[in-house]
Amino acid sequence: MIRGNNKIVAFCCENSAYLAADKAGRMRLHYPDNVRIIRVPCVGRVDLIHILKAFEKGAAGVLLIGCHEGACQHLTGNTRAKERAAYARNLLKEVGIDEARLRMANIAPDMAQQFVREIEDMTEKTKER
Amino acid sequence: MQIRIGVFLCDCGKSLSNIDFPKVSERAEKLQDVVHVGLHSNLCLKEGIEEMLSTIRDGAIDRVVIAACSPKLKEDAFRNALEEAGLNSNFLSLANIREQCSWAHEGDVTEKALELTAMAVERARFLKPLVKKDVPVNKEVLVVGGGFAGMKVALDLANLGLRTTLVERGLALGGRLEGFETNPAVPINSMRKAIEENRDIEVLTSAELTRGEGEVGDFSIRIKKGDEELSRSFGAIIFATGYRPEISPGDFQLRPGVNLISQEKLTEILKAPERLELRPKTIGFVLDVSDENCRLPTLSALNDALAVKERLGSEVYVFCKSLKVDSEGVEEVYREARDRGVVFVKFEERPRICSEDGRVKVELNDILLGDEITVFCDFLVAEERIMPSEGTEALSSILKMRIDSRGFCQDENVHLYPVSCERKGIFCVGACRGDLDIARASTDVASAVLSTYELLAPGTAIVEAERVKVDPEKCRVCLTCIRVCPHGAIRLVRVDTEREVAQISDLACEGCGICAAICPAKAIDFEGYGDEQILAEVQAIGESL
Repeated sequence: MIRGNNKIVAFCCENSAYLAADKAGRMRLHYPDNVRIIRVPCVGRVDLIHILKAFEKGAAGVLLIGCHEGACQHLTGNTRAKERAAYARNLLKEVGIDEARLRMANIAPDMAQQFVREIEDMTEKTKER
Repeated sequence: MQIRIGVFLCDCGKSLSNIDFPKVSERAEKLQDVVHVGLHSNLCLKEGIEEMLSTIRDGAIDRVVIAACSPKLKEDAFRNALEEAGLNSNFLSLANIREQCSWAHEGDVTEKALELTAMAVERARFLKPLVKKDVPVNKEVLVVGGGFAGMKVALDLANLGLRTTLVERGLALGGRLEGFETNPAVPINSMRKAIEENRDIEVLTSAELTRGEGEVGDFSIRIKKGDEELSRSFGAIIFATGYRPEISPGDFQLRPGVNLISQEKLTEILKAPERLELRPKTIGFVLDVSDENCRLPTLSALNDALAVKERLGSEVYVFCKSLKVDSEGVEEVYREARDRGVVFVKFEERPRICSEDGRVKVELNDILLGDEITVFCDFLVAEERIMPSEGTEALSSILKMRIDSRGFCQDENVHLYPVSCERKGIFCVGACRGDLDIARASTDVASAVLSTYELLAPGTAIVEAERVKVDPEKCRVCLTCIRVCPHGAIRLVRVDTEREVAQISDLACEGCGICAAICPAKAIDFEGYGDEQILAEVQAIGESL
């Protein structure tokens, strides 16, 4: 782990979180520039290997952001992602990585402020270490 | 073969002042496989696209990376442009340096813009071409349920030239309209006649679905009619199974012997008032006791109240909490009812209903008077709960559709269009979706007819072949993908005498990638969001850490 690195990888569902991020930009809600957004068609697409690879490459935090439960365009994508995140957190704990560095969040496409809060929150959390 | 990537940067009319574009351009040139970097000002405009096209044509570029605004805005236009230049439209990778970089942060963000571009370049290196092709679709439509919505759908589709099979499990068409006062009246008999005369509509009464397989464009359905079992195939299915009214005595806190009748019974009385021994002097309607969304019961109570006034001349009371007059024209019916002398009594607490001297005694606290009142009625017409028809659950499991917590079809997902469900090619119209009146059901019908026509009328559909595909060599036939696919787009196909493997229908697939993430054998590849493409992006972040 490179010292002083604080990059956050955010896997964003293109039906909600990605749109929220766009909206945050349009509203000029400034947030920390350490976040790198990867667009996915549904947060259920994110596999364990993607999450772990991000940590292997030295990411300070990984966020999975999908639609609200019950509002997933693909019905179960967000709940599957949630389960996968829980599983990955266990793995992280086992290898001695703080599991708070991985989080699953649910936001709607118009919740720009909430998106910014998620990023700020994760940045804050990963700074404390 | 050597990959040659062209990077096109757009500074959005020189408005992204916190990015140092010459610097980004200079460093992007050093990225692996990049052979051209262009700096543009208005890539989204016609001139910008022309400039890009000419570079692609004579620059011998085979992958395009565009660092500009959000892909949600111009992705399709750029893909079309690529096709115009003779490149496969999948050879495009976008970096969002406006909404998610320049606009989102304060201060200089040149580093981030460069990194986003590097991510897109890395992803572009792993892109493969996607071939567009035409797949044939069956132009016949199955309509399940011969009530108002089902009949109207069948007629409208047949008028547009699509052959329709209308399956009704009852003896005749018509559904609930028989026992329902509507305003304005629905010409049910002329609809029936038009269906009989239309040669493009096949009506199967006393028939039920027993099995359903396949997906959009090619559903194979088995229909049981009497002792026969018919096998048919259809391109689309329209679900119009309607509702079932139910009186639950618990709602009314009744004591035995109360003369509580259903709305259906009242309609029967209204049809032949001369058969009554005594004309009822007072008739009451009670609404809003089940505390549910009660649009249909309100509508029929108002229409019935008017009919009672006209044909029986009785006094009419309507006991309600807050009259739901949100359907078209209902406010007018309500006013007319008041003008004709129907008395509306509002309550907060449930009325107490019991029997006294052979009449129904209704005691309640009238919130307008602020006082207890007692009304004696000869009949009390009960509010009915609107429930899904019997067998909706069994039918939806045959067609692998989800139903909501109350048992109605596709009522929950706000992202989808109102009449389509999670399975492409299956549409739900009318009261099988919930408490819908005739006007709303007609809107549903129009919407479903349009979507079906759009889908089937050309006879073929354009798909991106094998965007998501199962590698037959790697597939271990564990059926996990078939189980998890929310759109029912995966089925088993025989590859040789020994083996069956999972196969994804290009037409039914909605491209969510849930199967690709869950496949234990990693046999499913999702072009555009494949493992290597996502990992390439992650890698690119790592490299510049």
